[in-house]
Amino acid sequence: MEIRFDLNGEKVRVEVPAHWTLLRLLREKLGLAGTKEGCGIGECGTCTVLLEGVPVNSCLVMAPKVEGKKVETVEGLGTRDSLHPLQKSFIDHGAVQCGFCTPGILMSSKALLDRNPRPTKEEIKDAIAGHLCRCTGYHQIIQAVEEASKSLKE
Amino acid sequence: MIPPFEYQSPETLTEACRVLGEWGPRGKIIAGGTDLVISLRKGEARPQILIDVTRIPELRRIEETEEMISVGAAVTHGEISSSVLIRRYGKVLADAASWVGSTQIRNLGTIGGNIVNASPAADTISPLMVLEAVGRVVSKKGVREVPLAELFRGPYQTNLKPDELLAQISFPKLPSGFRGSFVRLARREAMAIARMSVAIVLRMARGEDRIDEIRISAGAVTPTPHRMAEAESILRGRPPDEETMKKAAQCLSGNMVGWSGVRPSTAYKVPVVEALFRRCMRQALEEKP
Repeated sequence: MEIRFDLNGEKVRVEVPAHWTLLRLLREKLGLAGTKEGCGIGECGTCTVLLEGVPVNSCLVMAPKVEGKKVETVEGLGTRDSLHPLQKSFIDHGAVQCGFCTPGILMSSKALLDRNPRPTKEEIKDAIAGHLCRCTGYHQIIQAVEEASKSLKE
Repeated sequence: MIPPFEYQSPETLTEACRVLGEWGPRGKIIAGGTDLVISLRKGEARPQILIDVTRIPELRRIEETEEMISVGAAVTHGEISSSVLIRRYGKVLADAASWVGSTQIRNLGTIGGNIVNASPAADTISPLMVLEAVGRVVSKKGVREVPLAELFRGPYQTNLKPDELLAQISFPKLPSGFRGSFVRLARREAMAIARMSVAIVLRMARGEDRIDEIRISAGAVTPTPHRMAEAESILRGRPPDEETMKKAAQCLSGNMVGWSGVRPSTAYKVPVVEALFRRCMRQALEEKP
């Protein structure tokens, strides 16, 4: 079936089998491999993208559900030359090790800062509770989000 | 990999009922997909068509009338936990919804899905039981209003017919003076399915240390949801003192064993459900009415 939606600010029109997930559509049809597949059952948060501005597990979203909706992925966050403040902060604070969970956590963090530009540490922890990271122990990630929120303010 | 099927997104309830009536047991309703997509992936569900109900406006609304709050079946847990109306008239439900899964899951998963998936561990069911919720079930043939408990046949089984869908859940607004609490126990604090949960709403007699009205339900400990009517009647009219609490807790755990049978986990669950009940009572009593 044909679906149309807004992907990272651009109108997309794409032919997709109805039984594909949004994750598969992004990776296999649209070539956006920044969004990763981890568990595939909504537990790990690795495939998180923003749907209408809020984080969702793209492995649990059937592609036709995004018809007419707004989807944001890590590719829309920043570019190599102009990183999003969150991306810069993640690099500065060593919040990226193997990097597999990073795109998802960046998207949840973006949704948090869009809604609440100055979150407390607890609010940051809540916002990323649906993400597993096996490398960093989360401290650097939380720090990176805190620092990014400060740089957004300035 | 998920096997192929058709997908339709009707924009009215009438159209959804028509499509469902046409496909019957070969069709499956999808809302958030947080349970269904996993079943599709595992091959446990093999529908020929998915009928997406999230574009039907009346299934997406939270509404109030003079006496009732109605929640569309496709309202998400995230929307419920932040709803001003639900926080005011049924806070125990908003609290429970905020415990479901993760932020991402709460942004997808819906209250109707949580009910019709019929998991004994569903977080929203025990709060809906104490709110005396009623489900509105619709099909091409008509509408029926079903008390929540009667929607369930067994674990993961409902009494819905293949051509029926759950459109709305409504409950009477809690009168002023009521307060409540929801507590749950899981293997971790976040992102874990509840092993046991307790929901309570109660009202103290005006100016007295005596429980005037109380409703209790325990989640995940019985095959289908129940009100703990016996424990309620022990507490009703009495002060929540140690002796009464002990009697009510023992009655509640006794009922749990009675309904679920003695299992390997019973030795663990009996003292734990009693402790959860006490914690829930304490929190409810501390809550501002």
